[in-house]
Amino acid sequence: MDATKDVTVKKKKTLATRMWQQKELILIALPFVVYILVFNYAPLMGWLMAFQRYRPGLGLWEQEWVGLENFKMLFSDASFIRVIRNTISMSLINLSLGFFFSIAFAVMLNELKNRHVKKIIQTVSYLPHFLSWIIVTGIVLDVLSTETGVINQLLMALNVIEQPINFLADPKYFWWIVGFSNVWKSTGWGSIIYLSSMSSINEELYEAAEMDGANRLRKIWHITLPGIKPTIFILLLINIGNIMNAGFEVQYLLGNGLVQEVSQTIDIYVLRYGISLGNYSLATAAGIFNSVISVVLITLANKFSKAAGEESLF
Amino acid sequence: MKKIVKWSLTALSCAALLAGCGGGNGNGSESDQGQAKTDADGTRVYSAFMGVAGKELPEDNRINVALADLVGARAEVTWLTGQTAKERIGVMIAGGEYPDMMDASDAYSQMVDAGGFVPLEDYIDDYPNIKALYTDLEWEKIKAANDGHIYAIPQFSSVKGENMETNYGQQAFWIQKRVLQWANYPQITTVDEYFDLINAYAAEHPETDGQPTIGFEILTDDWRYFTLENPPAFLAGYPNDGAAIVNPDTLEAKVYDTIPEAKAYFQKLSEQYDKGTVDPEAFTAKYDQYIAKLSSGRVLGMVDQYWQFEQAVNSLKSQGKDEMTYVPFGLVLDPSVQPQYKEVPSLNTNGGLGITISNDDVEGTLEFLDGILSEEAMILRTWGEEGIDYEIDENGKFYRTEEQRANWINTDWVDTNAIDYGYLPAYKGMYSDGINSVLPHEQLSEFQKNLVDIDREVLAAYGHEKWSDFMAVQDPVTPWFPIYTERDSWTSSDPAGIAKQKMTEVKMKWLPKLVMDGPEKFEANWEAYMADYEKNVDYKVYEEKLTEEVKRRVEVEEEILEKLGQE
Repeated sequence: MDATKDVTVKKKKTLATRMWQQKELILIALPFVVYILVFNYAPLMGWLMAFQRYRPGLGLWEQEWVGLENFKMLFSDASFIRVIRNTISMSLINLSLGFFFSIAFAVMLNELKNRHVKKIIQTVSYLPHFLSWIIVTGIVLDVLSTETGVINQLLMALNVIEQPINFLADPKYFWWIVGFSNVWKSTGWGSIIYLSSMSSINEELYEAAEMDGANRLRKIWHITLPGIKPTIFILLLINIGNIMNAGFEVQYLLGNGLVQEVSQTIDIYVLRYGISLGNYSLATAAGIFNSVISVVLITLANKFSKAAGEESLF
Repeated sequence: MKKIVKWSLTALSCAALLAGCGGGNGNGSESDQGQAKTDADGTRVYSAFMGVAGKELPEDNRINVALADLVGARAEVTWLTGQTAKERIGVMIAGGEYPDMMDASDAYSQMVDAGGFVPLEDYIDDYPNIKALYTDLEWEKIKAANDGHIYAIPQFSSVKGENMETNYGQQAFWIQKRVLQWANYPQITTVDEYFDLINAYAAEHPETDGQPTIGFEILTDDWRYFTLENPPAFLAGYPNDGAAIVNPDTLEAKVYDTIPEAKAYFQKLSEQYDKGTVDPEAFTAKYDQYIAKLSSGRVLGMVDQYWQFEQAVNSLKSQGKDEMTYVPFGLVLDPSVQPQYKEVPSLNTNGGLGITISNDDVEGTLEFLDGILSEEAMILRTWGEEGIDYEIDENGKFYRTEEQRANWINTDWVDTNAIDYGYLPAYKGMYSDGINSVLPHEQLSEFQKNLVDIDREVLAAYGHEKWSDFMAVQDPVTPWFPIYTERDSWTSSDPAGIAKQKMTEVKMKWLPKLVMDGPEKFEANWEAYMADYEKNVDYKVYEEKLTEEVKRRVEVEEEILEKLGQE
């Protein structure tokens, strides 16, 4: 009522006051913050190993310091550069294929009217997510086999090819094999988020479009897809940070001597040159490189997203 | 209501936080590594980890119990799964926690570097059975290779009395018995003769049990690919030094990837691939698929070391397909070259079973090891219990009845009765009675009783008593043999270690290409391969390091012989 009374009540609340008022919420969050500090930030001390010639058995401060030697070794090694190329390519392929198929699948599922069928398909579709890569690569090896593989038999029966193709021996197929294995495994799971996003789109929008004479495809293009745009952007941002982690299991299990130039990722390089040869410093250096690039990428992508007026993470 | 919910959630999260902290470090695994346990009846229990794949057998197996009773202690053995030894043991080193005993396999040098093993040289004299495993010369050699210490007891280099080996367990060119039978047991000495025979047989028998016959198979999965790349050394008449070929006169080590025999061998392989004899999937198949193909009986021949495909042979035998099991041949390219495929059991100075620094009861563990090396315990470990697993005849010779033999071939029975101490120290050869061999399958009378008809036929046709007779033994046994143990000790701080890794990469890339592109492109491919090799592999440094080690081993042996001669 009184103008003066409003002004006095609205004095600025200090940080401490606000924290005390939200004390229960802060306490709930506290264990998880501690967890992140202990397991994600404290181990960063180990980054010091990258600047030493680490020998196990001695303490962290008793090691020999070698400065940037490990990084020099990494970047002068042609295999490391090649390996970065492989990692980024496979990530980009995985990202694009993953996005495309997850969204397409979610859109198609969304169009289904029969709820029973929809539920069954959805459940079946995310089962592969729970299989470990060992099993999935075993399946892939079988399916692509020249003798008994389904793909070769199908292609020969349709007279597309005469001789079976040895897919796993040819470097040009490898990235696509990895990409499509990933699609098979994660499309169902990835589409869950999009589906739930789509279910929150206002029904009235569809009805309005119907009245304006929109057919199904137009409705999808103008309502469904724009409706999940925020979700797409957030997920894209999160996944860009993961570009350097193209994975290890698939490439390790499906790779062989013939395709090793395209199949080895940063993780496999670290395994062969770092951990297997007992060179923990090198492995740490490669890990630091990974992390730095990921952080830079996420920051850049976030900036662009904000500038374009879309969602942003921070 | 809302306040209650908020506060109970808060309490819950805090409890979760404290649960993690409060437990301290005892929260870890139940089976505390490095803490000596005892069973209810006072039997001491030690943990043991083996850096190789193996089968874990239950602790209450009959023989395990009998041995524990006899010795007063037992070991819980765990094996390597799913990783390489270096990775697994690397993790242990990083954490600083080890089991009581360990065979570090190819992570041995990492363990030594990290100070993970307890030096044993001052203890050995107190334990007669352990000391008796090796001669003074051999113990000195171990010390010399390890800066004067003994970190591990080699398990497979001790032979008492005569070497009674019957089966051949190492590298050879293998061929199926039915192929030999069909061709009426020809002599095969060269690679050409070998492939001619395989091709002739495959032409007549394009299918085996409904599936296409495969003429020649090669194992190339990951670290097992040495079967693809090491035949040139053998074909040139050198023994299984593994890392290089060593000139016995100049004591110089050379890589065998660039010698003329290598080019000739891979050229032959490319010709055979072109003809369709070599399995097109050989370069992309994994180890499991390799074993599966061999177990189906349709692979006529391969070059490999027996222990890699032993599983498949056992499977074939249990399917009754004995004519599809394999016979070894030591092939050469040039008939005037003497092959040296078969190894004399050599002393491994850089490996074995060690006692780790996490062990609180070193003396007790050594007593346990000493106990299981007594003759009575060894008989339990190898033959079993008298009356149940074997009988003794009036001359004191051990033998098995039909039933007992059937039991020991049956893998299920073995899993419930036997013991998994295969990687704990042991010896081979003969027992002190001079009548019985340590291992039942090396007892000639038992070996012969276990043969099926086709085995007898094959042996008789070639005039041999046992399978190991097919292969010529290395001669002479050189003091540096086997040099590959030196290579296993390199870490990546050595330029030689990096060279080793690069060598693997270059070979894994080019060798399959050389074979698969066929004979027309072979010359061009070989040139490109050699160029790549020269450019990327620092093999000079690799050869130098090995040559240094060869000379060191020769010197050490001379020194020790002198010292012992004087005592």
